[in-house]
Amino acid sequence: MQIELGHFLALSATIFGIGAIGFLVRRNVLVQLMSIELMLNSVNLTFVAFNRYAPQNHLGQLFAFFVIAVAAAEAAVGLAIVLSFFRLRKTVHSDRADTLKN
Amino acid sequence: MNGDLDSKWLFAIVLFPLVGALVNGLFGRKAGRGAVHFVAVASVAMAFVIALVMFKKLIGLHAHSLGNSEEHAVLSFNAYEWFSLSNGGQTLSIPVKFVMDELSGVMTLVITGIGLLIHIYSTGYMSEEPSYARFFAYLNLFTASMLILVLGSSLPLMFVGWEGVGLCSYLLIGFWFENEAYAKAGRKAFVANRIGDFGVILGMFLLAVVCGSFEFADINRFAMEHAPALTSAVALGPKGTPFLVFPGITFATAATLFLFLGCTGKSAQLPLYVWLPDAMAGPTPVSALIHAATMVTSGIYLICRLSPVFALAPHTMAVIALTGAVTALLGATVGLVQNDIKKILAYSTVSQLGFMFAAVGCGAFAAGFMHVYTHAFFKACLFLGAGSVMHAVGAHGDADIRTLGGLRKYMPTTHWTFLVSCLAIAGFPGFSGFFSKDEILLGALSTGQLFSFAPWLGPTIFGMLFLGATMTAFYMFRLYFLTFCGEYRGGPHHDDHDDHGHGDEHAHHDPHESPAQMTVPLAILGFGAIAAGYVWVGIAHFEPWVKWLAPALAELKEEHGATAPFIAMGFGLTACFVGIFTAYAFYFKGSETPAKLQAAFPRLHSLLMDKWRVDELYEVTILGFSRFLAWFAAGFDKYVVDGLITEVTSQLVMVCSFITTRFQNGLIHSYGAIMAAGTLALTFYVVAPHPRPSMADPEGLKVKFDAEHGLAYTYRWDFDGDGKFDTEWSEDAAAQHQYADAELKRGVVAVFEGAAYGRSAELSELKPGERLHVSKRDLGPAWQVDAKDDSLPSIVADATGVLIQPNGARVMLGTTLQPGNVKMHLALGEHATIGDARLSVTGVVHPRLSVRNAFGQEGARSFDLVLPKVESRIVAAVAGVPGVAP
Repeated sequence: MQIELGHFLALSATIFGIGAIGFLVRRNVLVQLMSIELMLNSVNLTFVAFNRYAPQNHLGQLFAFFVIAVAAAEAAVGLAIVLSFFRLRKTVHSDRADTLKN
Repeated sequence: MNGDLDSKWLFAIVLFPLVGALVNGLFGRKAGRGAVHFVAVASVAMAFVIALVMFKKLIGLHAHSLGNSEEHAVLSFNAYEWFSLSNGGQTLSIPVKFVMDELSGVMTLVITGIGLLIHIYSTGYMSEEPSYARFFAYLNLFTASMLILVLGSSLPLMFVGWEGVGLCSYLLIGFWFENEAYAKAGRKAFVANRIGDFGVILGMFLLAVVCGSFEFADINRFAMEHAPALTSAVALGPKGTPFLVFPGITFATAATLFLFLGCTGKSAQLPLYVWLPDAMAGPTPVSALIHAATMVTSGIYLICRLSPVFALAPHTMAVIALTGAVTALLGATVGLVQNDIKKILAYSTVSQLGFMFAAVGCGAFAAGFMHVYTHAFFKACLFLGAGSVMHAVGAHGDADIRTLGGLRKYMPTTHWTFLVSCLAIAGFPGFSGFFSKDEILLGALSTGQLFSFAPWLGPTIFGMLFLGATMTAFYMFRLYFLTFCGEYRGGPHHDDHDDHGHGDEHAHHDPHESPAQMTVPLAILGFGAIAAGYVWVGIAHFEPWVKWLAPALAELKEEHGATAPFIAMGFGLTACFVGIFTAYAFYFKGSETPAKLQAAFPRLHSLLMDKWRVDELYEVTILGFSRFLAWFAAGFDKYVVDGLITEVTSQLVMVCSFITTRFQNGLIHSYGAIMAAGTLALTFYVVAPHPRPSMADPEGLKVKFDAEHGLAYTYRWDFDGDGKFDTEWSEDAAAQHQYADAELKRGVVAVFEGAAYGRSAELSELKPGERLHVSKRDLGPAWQVDAKDDSLPSIVADATGVLIQPNGARVMLGTTLQPGNVKMHLALGEHATIGDARLSVTGVVHPRLSVRNAFGQEGARSFDLVLPKVESRIVAAVAGVPGVAP
């Protein structure tokens, strides 16, 4: 069986869906951050897949590197926030991040 | 007199006390008492000296202008323009202008002169007062306001003074505001005056509307030269076409009645006099200056100032005279039985003001004003004397005469001045009150033609005034005998608390004479009480006074025989002697009669003790009503506004906020879910196919189409709307089509442009056999051929156009009128004019656009296309159409 663009996209959509659902249903901030990583990486997968079918100037790979850089930055900031949130509340449960509520 | 250098000093008369008030008000608390009373007394003294100089100048002018009766001797100084009103090119300027004429000159001298004496007296009387500077600041401010009131050349400027003295009166009545009752008395005065001020404002504007000016001089000249304008009935609305006319009420009557309402407030007449007796809560010098000598006479001053206007309103004059006489009697009757010195003097003032109003109401302006002048001396002297007595026995505002007595030997100066003033107010021959009171009685005797509508009025008022004068003599000497004769009865009882501060040191000692700051003013005022009359009187009449005031006052023909002055004098003397003798018999000899009378008429006595229970009457009627109103308004606010309206609104907001705050719950995953849902919805919308056709104006039967572009769309068109697509799927959104006649005939449309202005063309698609409905309104006013035939045209569609049966309507093809009621057929592209409306027949097609996206989803939309295009135009503008104006 030949692996086509459609297969890449289907895999990517599945990973993205797992990430999105994980982000929405899990309350552990660390898991949510990991879900975000999943979604970002599924997008990376589509980028490199497109790049394979349109390799003229490697725009897809270029964008994948961008996304990896952004994801790293996001992880750094996100983990710092989680750390200080944990110091404040002694938990990483996102429901407890409700200081601004009411 | 404008431009005369010396007239500028008129401004200084006002300015000195004003600056004094400012200095004492701002810096007085820090300064010593010496500095405070130096500033206060010196500023009034300067004003008095300048007033004297100006008055001397005025006398010169007056003598100069005597030969020429047209010229009114005035000194005037126009300081600056305060503001101006403009209405349709007409500008009414209101300057700050001070005028001293015969009338205001005398008032100025009285205010500054007596004011100076009372300032000096106060330095002694108030020497123990902690708020020394505040007192003198108020007193100076009062002097300045009163001077603005009398020197102001126009009604608005006078009103500034009028309000200023009202303010100072309020501040000084409530000077010891720690005492709740005193503060209440101040408020009462303020509110009563406010009712009157409302009248002054209305009268002022009414006069300005009729006379076209606020200046006293202009209004008086207008009243003398254009009397009919003022004696016409009051009409509201534009000139010539008023929407409301009050027949029988003239402008003069209305305006003067409004002004008189103000006078009853300021000058303590029925029905607004109730504040004055309570005003005695203020320090005694204040009672002397404001509530006896000056402020309360400003009502009489205002009437004299505008006497030419009042002279045009005999009904107002009757009201004034009657009000004055009734007030005079009311004050006198209450004065008969009171036991508090200041209460007696207060009601005496109410009564004497009533005499003045009775006089001016009878047209004897000069006599009324003479009494203002003489009353200022003896009443100020009486009040200051009372103050001296209270100072001596250590009473504070409530010296009961039953506890006094025999003060003659303790305080000789006070005694002598008090006796002289009592004689003056009783009208004893040779004293100042004698002259003015006789003139008032004479005025009531000789009302001439003024009360021709009620001839009984003059004699009635005369009788009431005679009675009032008798009682005046009686109660004044009752006061004198009980206070100064007999033996000292021990003075008032003292509470431990004495907020005046200097009671205790006197309480257990014999009374003593007051210090020189107090006795010297008393002596001067006492001298004035004797001599004030002589300056102006001849034998048995006061010709010089009348001559002096003549240029400033209206002339009313006083008709009296040669004996009338002697009749008046006879009655005046009788009143005086009967009153004094009765008081002598009752209180000096110690008769039992007063007690017997009291026992015989207990209810009358208690009614008089309770001051006719007017306060109680007002309490249950006016105050009761306003309390009910306040209660109702508060309840309405609480239960309807706050309860119903606010509650409903807040609940609504609560519900809305409850719903919306569910979204802002601070939970990250909830925000994430909403974001994901939104993104999905947006994606779905963007990806779904949206056919949005557009087209350029057709060129003949050729039409260019276009469609809105979308993501990866392909397009196809069905130009003639027959259900089969005429093009293949194409990535190009634009297309064009040349229509053939056959394609157009698929639909017939009647485009109907109604005659009514602003109606847009109405497009009706008709199937064969269907009828177009038109109304008369659509066809315009001149649609009928024959006025009798009003049957509407019938318009029915067929396969190729419409069939018109004109019936009674005027139908034209092009510019030719169809003769008679003949059927006609309009084919595609043709038009006819029916009445003023235009009917075009045209074809219609329904092209269809279909759009497909990358996922193969399709969307389609049909739309209308009218061909050939209808040229819109205004039918009524067609030239040469019979019956239609071009």
